[in-house]
Amino acid sequence: MTATALTPRATSGIAARAPKRKLSPERISASITLVVLLVLAIQALVAIDISIPKMFESMDNAERFFARVGGVTFPPLGELLHLTALTVGLVLCGTLLAAVLSVPVAILSASNTTPGPAWRWVGRFVGVLTRAVPDVVLAMVFVLMFSLGALPGIMAIGIHSVGMISKMFADAIEQVDEGPRLAIRAAGGTKTQEFVSGVLPQVLPSWVATVLHRNDINLRGSVILGYVGIIGLGREMSYAFKGMDYSLGMGYALVIFALCVLMEVVSSSVRSVMLGHAPTGRGMGDRLVRRFGRKSAQETMANAVQFANPAQALVRPWTKARRRNAVWGVTSVLVVIGSVIVSDIQWRDFITFWGKVPAIAVQFWPPSFGNYEVATMMEAMWKTIAIALAATLLTLVGSVLIGSLAARNVAPNSFIRTTSRFILVVIRGIPEVILAIVLIVITGLGGQAGTLALAICGVGLLGKLIADSFEEVNPGPERALSATGATRLQVFAGATFPQGVRSLIGHTFYLLDTNVRAATILGIVGGGGIGYYLLNAGQGSKYGVVTAIVLMILVTVLVVEGLAMWMRRVFR
Amino acid sequence: MGHPQSLPSSATAGMERDKTVKVASLTKVFGENKALDCVGFEAGRGELVVLLGRSGSGKSTLLRHLNGLEVPTSGQVQVLGEELSTLTGSSLRRLRSRVGFIFQQFELVPSLTVLENVLTGSLAAVRGPRLGLFGYGKARRLTALEHLETVGLLQLAYQRADTLSGGQQQRVAIARALMQEPEILLADEPVASLDPESSDQVMNLIRDIARSKGLTVVCSLHQVDLALSWADRIVGLRHGKVVLNTVTEDMTREEAMGIYGQVEVATITSEFAAIADELDTPGHRERIARDLAQASAGAGTGRDVP
Repeated sequence: MTATALTPRATSGIAARAPKRKLSPERISASITLVVLLVLAIQALVAIDISIPKMFESMDNAERFFARVGGVTFPPLGELLHLTALTVGLVLCGTLLAAVLSVPVAILSASNTTPGPAWRWVGRFVGVLTRAVPDVVLAMVFVLMFSLGALPGIMAIGIHSVGMISKMFADAIEQVDEGPRLAIRAAGGTKTQEFVSGVLPQVLPSWVATVLHRNDINLRGSVILGYVGIIGLGREMSYAFKGMDYSLGMGYALVIFALCVLMEVVSSSVRSVMLGHAPTGRGMGDRLVRRFGRKSAQETMANAVQFANPAQALVRPWTKARRRNAVWGVTSVLVVIGSVIVSDIQWRDFITFWGKVPAIAVQFWPPSFGNYEVATMMEAMWKTIAIALAATLLTLVGSVLIGSLAARNVAPNSFIRTTSRFILVVIRGIPEVILAIVLIVITGLGGQAGTLALAICGVGLLGKLIADSFEEVNPGPERALSATGATRLQVFAGATFPQGVRSLIGHTFYLLDTNVRAATILGIVGGGGIGYYLLNAGQGSKYGVVTAIVLMILVTVLVVEGLAMWMRRVFR
Repeated sequence: MGHPQSLPSSATAGMERDKTVKVASLTKVFGENKALDCVGFEAGRGELVVLLGRSGSGKSTLLRHLNGLEVPTSGQVQVLGEELSTLTGSSLRRLRSRVGFIFQQFELVPSLTVLENVLTGSLAAVRGPRLGLFGYGKARRLTALEHLETVGLLQLAYQRADTLSGGQQQRVAIARALMQEPEILLADEPVASLDPESSDQVMNLIRDIARSKGLTVVCSLHQVDLALSWADRIVGLRHGKVVLNTVTEDMTREEAMGIYGQVEVATITSEFAAIADELDTPGHRERIARDLAQASAGAGTGRDVP
């Protein structure tokens, strides 16, 4: 450090001899990108102008709104039940379609089952592409191709969901124990047999859980499909709001909210009963199931039936577990059949569909901006990105606060922890589209409502992920710091946060990724940004413009997803 | 008292045909690492052969060559009269179906019932994929149940495989191998994950089945006493080379320990030397030298193999 060295030994002082910290160029550029994104997000937040005084101003709006609502009204019960069945049936059919389509895509994209690297890229490309095109856009296209009814919605959900489901399916395949496969190969089994007997039984529970989870997401998303004309509760709600019948609109919103919670309870029960998964999650469904569910008996080891000889064992005994599984299995099949019936699918459309493809494809090509200026469209796209960025920033701040307090090893006492967890659960129960619509009605059209809706709903997800990752850190360093007499806050800052920060970055980028898509969709209900133009172009039959906008969204989503993947890799 | 790699001289032409496994100058290289170095041994019909050696000596790699899970870098592997390197696709699968394989970690599908796991052993005999119990047909289910009775687990046929103990799971794996109607049984450290009591049970089961059906068994182990009491012949491996190939009747315990003992002392010595160099202080050196002397004295049974 100093030049006044006396002996040769002192010249090589500890500071000089200590190894220099190595900074990889990738790490540096990733850090710079992070800072740039942060600056952009702050700028976006300022531009969107969410200020406290303005919020108070809009409180008047809220008062006027609630005065106008006057109370919540519901449609007649028969109609309500029919619409509910229709919505649930449509969503279920769509999700199941996606599940079926996802199997080959997942087999191609999983590293241990893919026939070759080229096939792997094909699988991944299909996954990314289907994920990137919002289901609303698909629905708009399919409405043109199919006669009205449930089919465009089913197809839209079915294709869009392939992205997420195939990704999760492939992850599950990559995580299987290779042993049983090896055993089948060693016994002379074929590749197909290896997969069906060695891999499939291992991944099936996680596949079912994925499909149920996606079904919950799709049910929330079905609201927005109503805005482009897909039948069901969402469309009736959009009609009510457009017709200024706010009390009926709120009635539909409440029904959809209740339906979402109910569906979560059902999928949680199915997961726990059929798959033997304990309802250990912290979702609202899991909580309710834990509270009201019977404790499952430890019956697996109780083996009442004794076989005298192999021939007697040919008939599988009807144990309690087998009876229960059979009942659930039959019920599931009946529900699926019911969904198909209630959706009233026009199967003929699958034949006439192909005839319409060329005529419609011509309308969608070439992409153009029509009467819009290029600058206007770019500005609208930027506004969507800005909403996503600003919302992510707000969410991050809120989530670090609530999420930390919800972590067992950070919360000062169990009351605060339980309260925080409860807040997160309640927030997760709200479909963001409904929150956005209510906020739009209160604060007026524009970016603020969209940003707030995304920010609030994001806390439910990111807060939970942060709380979980803080709870999963190695407790050793925390104990070490406590042992030196550090305060609670010092322990958090010195041991918990540094260990959790990497997954924090990963989760935040995951949120940004979903927010870009969600911001587009919120534009459709009036949340500002490119979505508004997309809806207009679709309704005005300017399909060239639709194509141009979809391409813009696609590029943006791919860039953000690439960025997110890069960040997760660098800061792993 | 056979020299390393020497083959039994008593092999006549008639017995030659009874050699179900013949391995000659087999070499396998993984990257820089020579896992098997010019290995040769034979096993006759109904013979119980144990591959003995430390972990990393090449036992598993050798076993995996015997049903074509690994492809040799050079050398010959002949199983049931067929040269493995000439087999591909369906002909390789056909050979594999005649060779049962038992793994250290059992490799059952945890979420399936015991019976379904046993039935997967017959996949090579059926065409196409199978899901559930009924796809295999009544006759195969009955056979599977009979094999379960053989291994003493008939009552557990409809339990999930992951509710069973380790020893029980390994017996299920044996029943699964029996579904193949194998002529050879390969077992890779079948009892390394089991407690002593279950180990005895599993090893006795394998021997009884092999004796009653006349199966050739090639089994890797690292317990010397178990190997001596169980096997007809012991093939010792060290660093991928065969260092011992003797009928157990002619063998002393010291001889068998030789596969281990000498290696262990040598390794310990070099490890201590490395640590000593690292620390490089006179006090440490003395203490380590003392430890070394004690270690060598303790492992004194490890004499050179003649």
